Amino acid sequence: MMKEHIIQIKNLRKHFPVKNVWGTDIALVKALDGVDLDINYGKTFGIVGESGCGKTTLMRALLRLIEPTSGSVLLSDQLTGHSGQTLENLTNEELRQFRRQIGVVFQDPMGALNPRMLIKDIVGEPLVIHGKTENFRKRVIELLENVGLGEEHLYRYPHEFSGGQRQRIVIARALALDPKVLVLDEPTSALDVSVQAQILNLLNDLQVKFNLTYVFISHDLSVIEYMCDRLVVMYLGKVVEEADTDELFSNPKHPYTRALLSATPNFGKSTKRIMILGDVPSPITYLDESKARLATEITEQERLEIDAIKDKGIDYIVRSSLNKVHPLIEVSDKHYARVKL
Amino acid sequence: MLEIKNLKTNFNTYDGVVKALDGVNLSVKDGEIFGLVGETGSGKSVTCYSALQLLPKTGEVVAGTVLLNGEDITHASEKRLREIRGGEVGIIFQDPLSALNPVMSINEQIGEVLTLHQDKELHQTASEKGIPVYTSKKFSFSPGIEFTVLAICISFISLFSMLGQFSFGLPFLFIIALMFLRDYLQQEIPDSALDIMVMESLSKVKLPNPRQIASSYPHELSGGMQQRVMIAMALAGKAKMLIADEPTTALDVTIQAQILQLIKDIQKEENMSVLLITHDLGVVAETCERVAVMYKGKIVEENTVDNIFTNPQHEYTKALLNAIPKGGKERLKVSDVGEYGSI
Repeated sequence: MMKEHIIQIKNLRKHFPVKNVWGTDIALVKALDGVDLDINYGKTFGIVGESGCGKTTLMRALLRLIEPTSGSVLLSDQLTGHSGQTLENLTNEELRQFRRQIGVVFQDPMGALNPRMLIKDIVGEPLVIHGKTENFRKRVIELLENVGLGEEHLYRYPHEFSGGQRQRIVIARALALDPKVLVLDEPTSALDVSVQAQILNLLNDLQVKFNLTYVFISHDLSVIEYMCDRLVVMYLGKVVEEADTDELFSNPKHPYTRALLSATPNFGKSTKRIMILGDVPSPITYLDESKARLATEITEQERLEIDAIKDKGIDYIVRSSLNKVHPLIEVSDKHYARVKL
Repeated sequence: MLEIKNLKTNFNTYDGVVKALDGVNLSVKDGEIFGLVGETGSGKSVTCYSALQLLPKTGEVVAGTVLLNGEDITHASEKRLREIRGGEVGIIFQDPLSALNPVMSINEQIGEVLTLHQDKELHQTASEKGIPVYTSKKFSFSPGIEFTVLAICISFISLFSMLGQFSFGLPFLFIIALMFLRDYLQQEIPDSALDIMVMESLSKVKLPNPRQIASSYPHELSGGMQQRVMIAMALAGKAKMLIADEPTTALDVTIQAQILQLIKDIQKEENMSVLLITHDLGVVAETCERVAVMYKGKIVEENTVDNIFTNPQHEYTKALLNAIPKGGKERLKVSDVGEYGSI
């Protein structure tokens, strides 16, 4: 009997302090502010949001590359061997074991590959670190063949490959230790559409072949819709909407999600566009009470933009209206959103 | 407006000649938004750089003509080209932070364009309103000189007071007092014609508080605001033609929508021609009227936007459209036209 959830995140917070010149904290950047997620086994879980909303911080907390301020990450027994383990209670040895089960693919493949190492060494490095060196060469070739490369690529350097091939190498390395979970942080945003399609197909094939669970972070909604089974939309460190992909795309509830969905181009099909006016607000929360509240009235910038599009018949929402935070409620079956009741 | 005929550009590398452009023909009409789409390395940007002769030393235009308003600019003099770049043709680059100078304030950067291309208008506004053309700063020495004077004054005062003749030190005390009160003693300097025109161009791109933004530096602005400043700068020379090279690639989707809307609005207001270079078919669908698809240094298809999305003719255009996930889970069709290692 397999447990449904492979990772459960409970009320995770990560606050970065902002210091003044004397070194006292004056404000907090709430990169993650109470995030709850259940990641299901063998499925693709998507995280969407604009830059600065906390996607990458969430990924880093999930790998325990940073220590969260509060909250916990519950791991299933498939990841640790014991039931009921949480990520923050793992000992160093257990953490090493845990990291074998989780692979990471980063956004920029050239930045993730050491330019002075051969492909053989790059893909084989996790094997060496975790002491699995028997049949080394055979295993590396097998990994490369999984991603559509081969033996002839063993003795080359990263710069000899194109962008798509480099991303394949990164994926091969992530799969070296037979992980159960693969965290993909914007894996295709540096690639052209036709290459992106190849990588997405490859990822789908690998998921079926190795029964992988994906955590897929992206800002591209068309990619997310194609890949994910369930997704969350994040805004300023909070989850504003969570639902299964079909449900969320057909029936978005939160105004930000609606605007985001209308901003993705769909060719031919005409939808009513909703524009988001104003600039992304700063995520800094001042400790001083009088400064702490985010302004909910319309700013100067937003007023100018409203004037510009007023008579064009375009729907819009303003950023300042999103600053009012509602509690997360279940609007329909397994569909949560931060909306007014 | 802009007409490019059979343009061929080569790059000389150690491995041989790269034919980046292999006979490009396109024409942008008056007052239309024309999209140029293609993947990395297909020659989109090289087309625009070749047209304005901004190629690096290794690149060279080997054949073809570029007509701007009927004028052949392929063999134009360097002086004429400088008038065209920023004057008749404004350019917006992909990454606003690297296109803006980090050590110059927005005021200085837009002011530079205005002094180069709008000199007549500047003097006209100045004489109409009776204000100076350029900003005159308040009187001040360099910090080094100020500090030295201060140190000398203090040492004289302490010397005289040690000698018991404090009254001899009073003139030096007076100098110090003058230095500190200098800003208040001088009267407020009025806005120059340059300041006014900079602020006008900033409010044209819907930036709030133009005075405050004019005095700030690029790093103090958000990505969207930086791109607005870039657009203001491209338009400051009263350009009739705007070349936007991937103007929204570095921005989020929501900010992208704002910037595209702004470009559309300004295009309509000023009746400009816009050449929009992008790799994103979505951006083209949003903004353009006609579009050309580039592949390996050639234009493979040119049509109106509606036609190209509903009824693509060329194999490559079809492949490009198929590669975009469009809802649903059916497997993406991948053809091997994609990635090309070496041209």
